[in-house]
Amino acid sequence: MNTLTIFRREVEQYFTTPFAWLIAAAVLLLTGLLFNQNLSQAARGATIVDPAFIPSVFSFALVFFAPLLTMRLLAEERREGTMELLLTSPVDEGSIVLGKFLGAWFYFTLLLALTLVYQIILLSISQPDIGHSLCAYIGIWLYGGATLAVGTLFSALTENQIVSAFLSMIALMLLWLGDSVGQVIANLEVARFVRTLTLQGHYSTSFAAGLFRGEDVAFYAGIIVVLLFLTMRLVASNRWR
Amino acid sequence: MNNRPIVITRSRVAQFGSIVGGAALLIGIIGFIWQGSLTSFVIVTLAVGVAGLGLWAVLNPQEFTGFITGRQVRYGTVTLFSTLLLIGIVALVYTQLQRSTVTLDMTQNQRFSLSTETLGVLRRVTRDIQITGFYTSRNLTTRELDDQFFRLYEDATDGRIRRVYIDPEENPAQASRFGVQQDAQVYISYLNTDGTEVDFNTLARVPRSGAQERDMTDAISRLLIAGTVKIYFEQSLGERDPLDTTSEGLSGIHNGVQESGLVTAALNLAGLAASGGDIPADAATVIFARPLRGLSEAEIGVIDRYLQRGGALLLMADVLYTDDAFLGESDLFNQYLWERYGIRALDAVVVDTASSGTTALDVVSAAVYTDNDIGARLAPDEGISTLFRVARAVDVNIDSAPPNIANGRVIMSSPLSFGETNLATLGATNQFTFDEGQDLPGPLTTVVWSFHQQTQAKIVLVGDSDFATNGLALSPQGNGILFTDSVAWLTNLSERIQFSPQAFSANLPLIFVSQQQLDLITFVTIILLPGATIVSGLAIWARRMRQ
Amino acid sequence: MIEVKGLTKRYGDRLAVDHLSFTAKPGEVLGLLGPNGAGKTTTMRMLTGYLPPTEGSASIAGYDILEDSMEARRRVGYLPERVPLYPDMTVRGYVTFWARLRGIRSPRKHVNAALERVHLMDRQNQLVRNLSKGLRQRLGLAQALVHNPAVIILDEPTIGIDPQQVIEVRESVRALGKEHTVLFSTHILSEAEHVCDRVLIINKGRVIAQGKPADLRRQMEPKTQLYVVVGGASGKAARQLLSAIPGVLAVERDGDGYSLTVEGDRDLRGEVSSHVMQAGYTLLEIRQATTSLEDIFLEIVGKSR
Ligand SMILES: Nc1ncnc2c1ncn2[C@@H]1O[C@H](COP(=O)(O)OP(=O)(O)O)[C@@H](O)[C@H]1O
Ligand SMILES: [Mg+2]
Repeated sequence: MNTLTIFRREVEQYFTTPFAWLIAAAVLLLTGLLFNQNLSQAARGATIVDPAFIPSVFSFALVFFAPLLTMRLLAEERREGTMELLLTSPVDEGSIVLGKFLGAWFYFTLLLALTLVYQIILLSISQPDIGHSLCAYIGIWLYGGATLAVGTLFSALTENQIVSAFLSMIALMLLWLGDSVGQVIANLEVARFVRTLTLQGHYSTSFAAGLFRGEDVAFYAGIIVVLLFLTMRLVASNRWR
Repeated sequence: MNNRPIVITRSRVAQFGSIVGGAALLIGIIGFIWQGSLTSFVIVTLAVGVAGLGLWAVLNPQEFTGFITGRQVRYGTVTLFSTLLLIGIVALVYTQLQRSTVTLDMTQNQRFSLSTETLGVLRRVTRDIQITGFYTSRNLTTRELDDQFFRLYEDATDGRIRRVYIDPEENPAQASRFGVQQDAQVYISYLNTDGTEVDFNTLARVPRSGAQERDMTDAISRLLIAGTVKIYFEQSLGERDPLDTTSEGLSGIHNGVQESGLVTAALNLAGLAASGGDIPADAATVIFARPLRGLSEAEIGVIDRYLQRGGALLLMADVLYTDDAFLGESDLFNQYLWERYGIRALDAVVVDTASSGTTALDVVSAAVYTDNDIGARLAPDEGISTLFRVARAVDVNIDSAPPNIANGRVIMSSPLSFGETNLATLGATNQFTFDEGQDLPGPLTTVVWSFHQQTQAKIVLVGDSDFATNGLALSPQGNGILFTDSVAWLTNLSERIQFSPQAFSANLPLIFVSQQQLDLITFVTIILLPGATIVSGLAIWARRMRQ
Repeated sequence: MIEVKGLTKRYGDRLAVDHLSFTAKPGEVLGLLGPNGAGKTTTMRMLTGYLPPTEGSASIAGYDILEDSMEARRRVGYLPERVPLYPDMTVRGYVTFWARLRGIRSPRKHVNAALERVHLMDRQNQLVRNLSKGLRQRLGLAQALVHNPAVIILDEPTIGIDPQQVIEVRESVRALGKEHTVLFSTHILSEAEHVCDRVLIINKGRVIAQGKPADLRRQMEPKTQLYVVVGGASGKAARQLLSAIPGVLAVERDGDGYSLTVEGDRDLRGEVSSHVMQAGYTLLEIRQATTSLEDIFLEIVGKSR
């Protein structure tokens, strides 16, 4: 109930401030440019249109995009002093964190849904592998949730939005670097283990290839749950520090 | 004045003890988790940790108890432990899901699902098989993708097929044992009876082409029939030597046959005929690689008994300029083949006046019949053709075939070729002209097959033997394919590994789009959509600002 | 309604609130009066559950702020020192949001009532960012009372707004006191005098005086001061003369003259002048210093320093 109230305020905030719209436009422009490039290449017969193309663009873009979405979530509340009111209202910290996180995820979901337009275009001019695309979209949706959870955590760590965004970008960059782990770590088994701890390690060779695996869902869901729990404790730490 | 430092030292020491102790305890615990056992390093750090905290407790008991029972510590530890518990639960769920392979293949061409054909093959796996992949860490993603796929084999066989990955750089000794030449090579083999070590006699490299499933399933099928299919090379009639490594020898195809998991052996037909023996029952195919003489009646009898049992022959009949040539026109065996199987060799050399080779005697396949598997991969228009150096024309009686016989052509020469029948002149002077009425008009058949529907006997007759030698077997490509697919058909290998073609078709999404459409798409996606987003955002914002 | 026992807050080595104890009865406006840094905000933050006390306990409407934090919070409306706002919400949206979070399922009526109360009804659709400072303060008030809480805690609600609006806010607080228990902090004495039923004067985290504003005044009255400058007498003679006057409790040298502490609220000016005349000296100046609560406050705070 309280979660829903906070969620609704969060979503309203996204739609009534120009910031969120500008981000949406930027994302559409970026994906649109890449899509057109890919499409004209494919039309000339050089490549095919990868069914996971748009989601895979997101897999990198989210490193920068998720912190922008989440940097204000808790940092702003603290700076504006509204956190004091939230914490003195009969609302548990879990609802606050969850409502805010879900708001950001919802916004991301809508944005992702907007890019389905490219899929519709493809559908009208060829026979794309819809199942494969759907799988990649599900994957990037969960992946996005995990990156937003990382951003939420860092938003709770500091009052300064810029610092929060910067820190979560660094963290996400490290988490993202899954596919290049092998270039750095020579030992295959270690590299493999490290890769299973990265975001890409559960996307690029499964969801993006059209394979839906339970363990990948568990990974992203696990990241979300653990990080939101930590965020919640962090917010609650006000009360007992 | 001298007393003061001593008093301070007491609480300082306590503080020092608390910091060092806490840090050491933390390092010790992390070390324990990292190394997984109580190494001496872990024990020492833990001991230092306990000692430090003990020092703190003794020297400043008030602060110590205050800290232990304080709210911070209570909430902090609760947070720490519940986070660890949560991570533990997530890890547990994760590994459970991973182990039980909860997956869903969402690709259209079912890239991550095994076809029923493959599952059929896997059902016959009774011995432990190991897929050994050699990947460096640089090829991590390839490995992960391959692993997704190999895992299907492991799951489908309840672990009878297992996956092992070796880093060739970490383990160069193993890599050279397997003969690894490049990154991401995959091998398949049986395990030894004790189930620990790879049985190197059965080791085969899995090719890496576009059709991943066919490559792997092929390899497994070959492994399954390994040791069960035996190929005999006839050796008593002056044939080419399967162990000869010169360009005239057959060592290449001989090794290839072995690498495919087939067993090879030599056959002494003359000896069998003399002793009244029989061709061994395990002979899946007998290869006659250019016998130099005609067969005796006794020898034909041995062959006939073999064919009656459902035997298979690969006959390579070259042009020979001797009187007692193998399959000469009046040769008994040639007559036997014509009467019983509707195929025979002709005493004519194929001369291709339009040959793309160095002389008109280089006969390139011009027409290929695909009603039999032998010809399936030999389409000349795909650039895969065979090259026979001095080819002999062969004949097939399709219209009035002997009873129970199905037969046909595989390869024919070009329409501009003819069959020079004057072998004596050709052999002596290497000259040929088309003599109306004497020579055979083209196109001419160079490879035929015959199948007895009741006895299941199979024969392939090739009017050449050079194509299988080390000099020509691999180049052009078609020569090797002709040999391989002939053996595959004769031994029924191709029936054992049978795929429906669409099971592996890549089915790439084709794009039909005009430049106009492309321009429209560009406009919509790059200008209209982002533009509309900005405009509606600004509109909403402006309206709100006025409130 | 509010019961505080030995409440203590330590920020590291700094003691912000030092064993504070007090109670506030229903329908009472209790003032927390103290200079900046006295610990008013810290006290309120502990009461609302935002900060944990280092020691001591407190309860709101019978619910312990630590053990039954949720229940206690349900019964509190809180306006922090700096009004926390969401600038991109409308006035109505803002109040509705907080009403929902305080557990009101269909907040329409509550929101209307609250907006009426702070006279923001006609601005309900305006954006918060476009409100003036005083209106924002009133909006903060609306948020604190929208769920009709038993206890309303207001942290210096009149700070930084213009005088007209200060009066309005004071009126609102007084009105609130009729139905709610109000804890109200300020560093302005006259404000406490006007608004509160009872005042706690705190400094450095400790209560140094408490009572009704009138009581506090009375407590102070024995210490009424009279300033006298006597001409023609030596210091010792003057002191002797002045001390002998009945009703004078103490004599202190103060600049050119003497400061007399007088018993009760008696006016001794006549007696002092006649005594001086009788002794043959001249009375150069006599002046009575009526003390206001302001003086009490300053004195108390000064002493506790
Ligand atoms: N978060 C904090 N950390 C450290 N000291 C603080 C903190 N908040 C307040 N203080 C100190 O505690 C004392 C009381 O502050 P506060 O309660 O804000 O006083 P008031 O509200 O009466 O002005 C002050 O000396 C202040 O410096
Ligand atoms: Mg304050």
